[in-house]
Amino acid sequence: MVLDKVDLDLVPGEVVAITGLNGSGKSTLLRLLVGVVRPTSGTVTGRPREVGYVPEYFPDDDALSALSYLTHMGRVRGLTTKDAVDRAGRLLDRLGLSGGRGTPLRRLSNGNLQKVAIAQAVMVRPRLFVLDEAWAGLDATAHTVLAELVEEIAGADGTVVYTDHRQTVGATRVLEVAAGGLIELDAEPVLVTRLVLAPPPDTDLDQPLALPKQLSGAMSMAHDGEKVFVQVKRSEADELLMSVLKDRWSVLRVDEPVAVVTGGLGAALQPAPGAGAEAAAEAAGGAA
Amino acid sequence: MIALVRYTVAVMVHSQRYLPPVLLFVICIGTFAHDAGVEPMVPIFAPMTAVAFVCAAWLTVVLVTAEDPVQRAITTVNAGRSWPQLAAVAVVVLATFAVLSAVLLTLPFVLGNRAYGPVDLIVGAAALLTGACFGIAIGMPTSRLVFRRQGYALLATLVLIMTFLLVRGLPPVNTLVMLLTEERTEPADMLLPELAYLALAVAVLAGSLAATQAIVSRRD
Repeated sequence: MVLDKVDLDLVPGEVVAITGLNGSGKSTLLRLLVGVVRPTSGTVTGRPREVGYVPEYFPDDDALSALSYLTHMGRVRGLTTKDAVDRAGRLLDRLGLSGGRGTPLRRLSNGNLQKVAIAQAVMVRPRLFVLDEAWAGLDATAHTVLAELVEEIAGADGTVVYTDHRQTVGATRVLEVAAGGLIELDAEPVLVTRLVLAPPPDTDLDQPLALPKQLSGAMSMAHDGEKVFVQVKRSEADELLMSVLKDRWSVLRVDEPVAVVTGGLGAALQPAPGAGAEAAAEAAGGAA
Repeated sequence: MIALVRYTVAVMVHSQRYLPPVLLFVICIGTFAHDAGVEPMVPIFAPMTAVAFVCAAWLTVVLVTAEDPVQRAITTVNAGRSWPQLAAVAVVVLATFAVLSAVLLTLPFVLGNRAYGPVDLIVGAAALLTGACFGIAIGMPTSRLVFRRQGYALLATLVLIMTFLLVRGLPPVNTLVMLLTEERTEPADMLLPELAYLALAVAVLAGSLAATQAIVSRRD
């Protein structure tokens, strides 16, 4: 038995991060939440009708196209064909699907399959949004969009529950699965500001020394080749902005700070200065 | 439910797993067409009923697991419950065999068999529907949803198919096939027992769906 004596109340509007070691039962807990498995004892009550589920792995052997699959899933959720097609198209555009909407799923890359997995979960705005390692393999754009979706759903009184073994940024509550039970981590919320920066012309962001060392203090960082997305504690944002401006960087956007709980895992988010694009993208946070 | 049926059809068509059982049935229709001018017609429905039974079980087994387990879980979440997925498979298999059977049942008319009347048509339709319903009822619980190992699933399917086809007097398939081959019984006199076998097949199908659903929801 992976899980035992789990007692969990979820409140509308909260973003819950589930942490734990591999094999500790995080995914099982999520599958119980969405209703694809039944507990051998105990009950899950009050599950809303609108549940969005992004599994850890999305199958890559389907001959249906991304648009066709999403249209079917939209119809299964009660949308008309026209609404389903429109919604699917908008979501795929927003997530930046590359490879074509009409391309069979089996020909898409893992990152693009993950975008389809996210899109199917939000074809109708879920009141319970459950994500199992959904950030893995996403590019910087999709990272940002997924963070926005999480924020939108939580802002509309939905509940978001996610696992990600690297990060808990964006969560209002952090739980750890250990020894079959749940432990609420005693973590203080911190105000986090999200910045979008642009380097001086001719800067190759994939070069190890291209990123200023001041960014090493950021909670998370990713780039798409032209822009750098940074999450930093509000208290450190001004100092960081001043220093990058001195280095002739441009500040494209400064978001309103949001309160997040890092669950003591914030240190794990810090990529080494000048880390490659892949590592930086993996470390990019889920907070908006 | 209609959306799930459409999705199941799309999965079936794109996966192409429907081809072997459907092709087998179509080939048998071709053989049947060769004999469709002979009289009486009803005995020829006996082997076609057996073929419909086998092909419906085969199509059910392949269609019920056409989706990857993870994708199936996603569909379950989107549909809100898992039993409609099984019901959608049953509807799609039944609809497939209804279309194929319609072709088969109209062939004697097309080929100008003047002795082929409405009663023969009803007898044939009820027999084929019974075969298809019972085939689905066998295919559901012997699929890989219940038997995780393909070898065991195949073995269970074959054992049940052979049992219900060959064990003399075991309703509904064997008894129905025997009834259709009775030359001394008029087609009109076959209707009542046929309808009883059809009712039995539908009841077993409902029970099979419920049992499969119960096992699957516990197992996942």
